Amino acid sequence: MSLAQYALRRILLIIPLLIGITFVSFLIANAIPADPINTNLPPSQLNNEAIVAAFRAEWGLDKPPIEQYFTYLGNLLQGNLGRSIKTRQPVAEDIAKFLPATIELATVATVFGIFIGVGLGIVSAVWRNRPIDFIARAVAVIGVSVPVFVLALLFLSVFHAQLGIAAGPGRLTVTLRDPPTVTGLFTVDSLLAGRPDLFLDAASHLILPGLVLALYIAGLISRVTRSSMLEILSMDYMRTARSKGVRESIVVMKHGLRNAMLPIVTVIGLSYGNLLAGAVLTESIFAWPGIGRYMFRASTSQDFPAIMGVSLLIAFIYVVVNFVVDILYYFLDPRIRLS
Amino acid sequence: MSSTSSTISSIRVSGSRERIAGLGNILRRNPLLLIGLIVVIAWVLGALAAPLLAPFQPLQQNVAERLQPPGSPNHLWGTDELGRDIYSRVLYGGRITIPASLLVIVFGSVIGSVVGAVAGYLGGFYDELLMRLTELFMAFPTIILAMAVSSALGPSIQNAILALVVVWWPSYARMMRGLVIKAKTNDYVEAAQCLGASRFYLLWKTIVPNCLSPMLVMTTLDVGNAVLTFAGLSFLGLGPEPASPEWGRMVAVGIDYFDQWWMWLYPGAAIAFLVIAFNFIGDGLRDILDPRMR
Repeated sequence: MSLAQYALRRILLIIPLLIGITFVSFLIANAIPADPINTNLPPSQLNNEAIVAAFRAEWGLDKPPIEQYFTYLGNLLQGNLGRSIKTRQPVAEDIAKFLPATIELATVATVFGIFIGVGLGIVSAVWRNRPIDFIARAVAVIGVSVPVFVLALLFLSVFHAQLGIAAGPGRLTVTLRDPPTVTGLFTVDSLLAGRPDLFLDAASHLILPGLVLALYIAGLISRVTRSSMLEILSMDYMRTARSKGVRESIVVMKHGLRNAMLPIVTVIGLSYGNLLAGAVLTESIFAWPGIGRYMFRASTSQDFPAIMGVSLLIAFIYVVVNFVVDILYYFLDPRIRLS
Repeated sequence: MSSTSSTISSIRVSGSRERIAGLGNILRRNPLLLIGLIVVIAWVLGALAAPLLAPFQPLQQNVAERLQPPGSPNHLWGTDELGRDIYSRVLYGGRITIPASLLVIVFGSVIGSVVGAVAGYLGGFYDELLMRLTELFMAFPTIILAMAVSSALGPSIQNAILALVVVWWPSYARMMRGLVIKAKTNDYVEAAQCLGASRFYLLWKTIVPNCLSPMLVMTTLDVGNAVLTFAGLSFLGLGPEPASPEWGRMVAVGIDYFDQWWMWLYPGAAIAFLVIAFNFIGDGLRDILDPRMR
């Protein structure tokens, strides 16, 4: 099967998944005893029948659930995700506004996380059961165990409030104006606008939230790296390489890491997907206007069109990330056939 | 044939005997497991004995002594914005977070295991049906589902637990299904079948008990996650009511008093230490039950 055929098949497989997601959302939306009028109308108007009826009619909530569902699917087929009850904007526009902040943060965090996690994992595997292995493993456990909201507060308190060496919450210092939107990624847009000062400010605001999220995924990555590397390091070809007189660093990095990459790539993909799905806790502490916060607002106000839109987006992100991981497998290990 | 199987069973028996005898050795060789066990037991005892150990009631206010720093005469870990004793609140908090997380794990793993076992055992149409359903719940983002459920039902401890169970069971269903499918081809299953065992007996008495040790490892490794997610939901205001001494809630309230670091650091550290301890135990258990991972 060629790469193009494979890609096409994978893309077609997304469709039933997305339809399934809309179905579960609808099921849940109708199963839970929650009424959007309670969270979206002012309390003084809840007994005003005319207002309540108008609200239901406006959002189609007066129609039977089956009809609502098919209306939604029909709109979805035309690329219309509906309008958010809360922000009154089209959900697609809302997502376009909030997603870039999350992409920027998730990407920075994943890059940090890969360096820290793969590094710790290799050190751990090469010096197995030595003190440095125990330290690296303890760091990994701590990374996945400390709640991100606690780590975020700790970092803000120490590095921002006490030492003053890192930027605080938000994407930019409050006195600065956003760069003109091209990609929505402030680091990229500021460079496009020829504003290196804005770039530095935006980059410095990424460091603390990026590190907080990176430590968590570094914990996951280093565990997988360690066990994968341990398996590879015991292979015969490692001994062969050494006996040929290949330098130890090349043995470990080229013969070892290269062959240990498959599980590592998987966990990196999974972590990146998780971060893109909105790090709601980190985003809320760092006042980061991303998907996580949008999702939180949507789900606490029973804003069903927004909840559905974000759920579809997240499912889509996972599918794309998995797809990219599978393609990477193909390039990392030529023995793997696409099927 | 009979001699082979008796050899196999004698190997099994001696293996398990050695394992028990080696427990002391294992604890000595795996200090992290020991530390984890000690810390978890300490937290559980601390929570159980909170009324005896805590100098104050968790909800008892004393505005005259509000925002006292740690080490002040009456308050070891300081006080919060209403003069409540942080140390007492953290001790009492264990009475919420620990049982809540365990309930999530118990309900999630039992529901998931039953679904997975039935799907794996029956196969065919039922398998397809149950596993497609499971996949749908898995494809649905965990946190958004939990947030939507608990905010729709109204924030409370029970609803937070319910919301987490809804998102927790699918991974257990997947795991159990895989294990059952593998186990049901074993000869001893066929033997029991020949002896006239019912399908119910075959599944629950013959197959499932042989799948429990990997499930146990997964469950233990998962307790830490449950604690983190429960505390996270409650941090977002989707758990117990604001005055509650639940740890995640206390951290959230503490954000408004950012400079009074003791308000958020102690409950936050409580979560962290408990989760670290559970993860040490989970890792250690995996090493014991799955020697290939050593």
